[in-house]
Amino acid sequence: MSAPLIEAFELTKQFGSVQALTGLTFRVMPGEIYGLLGPNGAGKTTTIKLINGLVDATSGSVTVDGFDPTKNPIEVKSRIGYVAEKPILYDSLSTRDFLEFVASIRKIEEITATRIVTQLADAFGMEKYFDAPIATLSMGMKQKVALIASLVHQPPVLLLDEPLSGLDAKSSRLVKDLILLHTQKGGAVLFSTHIMEVAEHLCTRIGIIYQGKIVAEGTLDQLKNKTGNKNETLEDLFLKLTNEETEVADKTRILGDVFFKNEAA
Amino acid sequence: MLTRHVYWGMFFSRMKLLEVWNLSRLPYKEVVFRSIAEERGRMWWGGFGRGHLGGDAQNDHELTKKALRIAKFDKSLVAIFNVLAAVIPFMAQFFGSPILGLTSAIALSLAVTFGFTALYAIQTLTSFISPESSALLSTLPLEERDFSLITLFSFVRSVDYIAVGAIISQVAMVAYYTMSPLAVLVMFAISAVNSVLAVAVSLWFARIFTRNLAQGGRSRGTTILRFLFILMWGSLLMGVSLLISLPWYIVPSLEMSLLSSNQLSIMLFCFLHPFSAGVTIANISQSSIADSTSLVAAVALVSYVILAGFAGKWIMSTVKRISYGIDFNISSVTTKDFSLKPHKPLFGYILKDLKIASRNPATAFFFALPVLETVIVSFTIANFEVLRASMFLVSTFMGGVFVLLMPLALLNAEGTGLEYTKTLPLNINRIITSKTLISTLTYVPVPLVLLVMAFLKSLSSPLILLIPFFVILAVASASIFEIQLFLSCVTQGKINAILHDVKKLVVGVTTLAFPLAAYAIIYIISSNHLFAVLALGGASTSELAIAFHLLKYNKNLR
Repeated sequence: MSAPLIEAFELTKQFGSVQALTGLTFRVMPGEIYGLLGPNGAGKTTTIKLINGLVDATSGSVTVDGFDPTKNPIEVKSRIGYVAEKPILYDSLSTRDFLEFVASIRKIEEITATRIVTQLADAFGMEKYFDAPIATLSMGMKQKVALIASLVHQPPVLLLDEPLSGLDAKSSRLVKDLILLHTQKGGAVLFSTHIMEVAEHLCTRIGIIYQGKIVAEGTLDQLKNKTGNKNETLEDLFLKLTNEETEVADKTRILGDVFFKNEAA
Repeated sequence: MLTRHVYWGMFFSRMKLLEVWNLSRLPYKEVVFRSIAEERGRMWWGGFGRGHLGGDAQNDHELTKKALRIAKFDKSLVAIFNVLAAVIPFMAQFFGSPILGLTSAIALSLAVTFGFTALYAIQTLTSFISPESSALLSTLPLEERDFSLITLFSFVRSVDYIAVGAIISQVAMVAYYTMSPLAVLVMFAISAVNSVLAVAVSLWFARIFTRNLAQGGRSRGTTILRFLFILMWGSLLMGVSLLISLPWYIVPSLEMSLLSSNQLSIMLFCFLHPFSAGVTIANISQSSIADSTSLVAAVALVSYVILAGFAGKWIMSTVKRISYGIDFNISSVTTKDFSLKPHKPLFGYILKDLKIASRNPATAFFFALPVLETVIVSFTIANFEVLRASMFLVSTFMGGVFVLLMPLALLNAEGTGLEYTKTLPLNINRIITSKTLISTLTYVPVPLVLLVMAFLKSLSSPLILLIPFFVILAVASASIFEIQLFLSCVTQGKINAILHDVKKLVVGVTTLAFPLAAYAIIYIISSNHLFAVLALGGASTSELAIAFHLLKYNKNLR
């Protein structure tokens, strides 16, 4: 059996008095798409940042392709393609300038960089935006630039934090196909999403994170077995496992009051 | 608060001016927040007082308050400088200058405040040149007149302290020196005209810069145009050097020109703003100038008032177009060529730094530093026949101090993009090296100018020519220390942030001054240039060695 591309063991992260992660343990194998699902503030982005070496863990360990991001940050970052939840790029650079910068830092040959970027830019329909400053691009276009930049060095590991936000249907489909192709080639993908349908259809395994802990993990069928109801959707499962089912029902009642009990002043 | 009623949280009706002014705080807050959050639009001291903005733990309200505090701090500091700039020409004699005539004092005061106001406005207004700042307002059922006024007032808020400070101080100075109500009235009018013209020029610059950026492309024309703008910014920056050089160089030459018997030069001065104001006001209080001259000055003054009226109207219509998002279109050029030209990592980083800094209006004019240094150094030693070590020490120090702002500006220009860079397999030392190389290169004109001067004049000792070249090492070390400090910690709280920034500048200035002090001390003790130069070389080389040694212990960027 091959070694995991991402392995987190008893990861803990504390920000001041806030306990962001508590003993998080999971692994992502080559060819696997691991979906990290959790409500806002559950610790998804912190987990991704820890793996990428952007923050240090308070305790526990994490490795990417066997490398520790604290001790070998360059090795780890060379193996990762990362797309942040809100793509923060250099706004005054054009897409071309930005990708040239990324390719330079990642030491990619001109021929390889041009070939990969041409294919990806063509696929994502970047013809009109390739020489436009990033500041003028829509959120979706920025997301595409970030995606191309994350793939230009053909990394074995993709860390995608809400990668589909802002994308149109066509691009969204393309990204999903791209994720599948990446894993078919033996790569690993860890991605966080709020879109249950995407996780349901795309992920090999799902980890539900709640208050900094993985409260359930497994394939969709394994998760359904945990709750004992095979007809449940992932959304139902998610709300049940994160103890939000009752809360959602209460809030829906309040929303009903907003619409039907309040008359316009 | 509103004159009529509120319905579903939205308001309509024609509002009073005070209400409009109060409401203009909202889009102003948005502009300020955007510029600070993106680390754009900060003043030229780069990240001065840069606190931790954007932390996950902070809520939006706290962030907005913090952004407003930072903007208020920036604005207040520039307003204080502006008031000083307005007052100093009237008191030039206290700074060792001959007593300055009222004409020259008024003209210089207006010129320098024009420069400062424009310099500040040009950097803050770039965040304003976007319909996003009034996007929220545009969803409300406001009358067109109210909407336009709100956006105009939010624009005025960006320079309010600075303009008001300049106007009050100039009017007060004229009142004190002339005791003439008419002179005071004219000064008030022309001071306001001066501010309107400064803001109009800045808006024009900022708008063209943003349009240039938005329309993108890779055209050579765009690049040349940007370079021209940078040069023009450089000339605006001369306002600052004008202030520094004022008592020693500008005042005597100006006085001589004004007192000369050359009618053509006098007429020319009378026609040009701000000299026309100086001549007119001086004439009101003293009547010492020929009638024809004062008439030309008065006519010119009226023309400038009319011009300011047109500029004001243009500002209003431009602000309106900006707020409606119809000021200019974003063009997109279809390309089939997706080829990339990657470079070596360090060169790639330098290229990126140069691109983002030159496209950011708040930092672009730093590329005019070499021009500024050349002027300062030339001014400092131009009047001397024999160049001595002390002149070399002073001019290299002055040139070097300007360069110390460059690393902070380059880091500031990175803005939030630095967050992306942190995800790349990049050693922190590469970032430091890139910024250090760029900063050090901007210092190179100083030794070159001194070298040229050495050919034109006599030297007290040929060895002193080595001073500016050794200082290159000190400049590089100072840049490294500053950047290390900048990247080493993110401070919490305004006071800590200011202290941290003061620390950066103190470390930078000390690093620069130490080899020069070593030279001075050894020369005083030994009266030998060779020993002094050796001390200078030893000190600057040691500093660079320490800087390189510190780089070894850098952790990864996070």
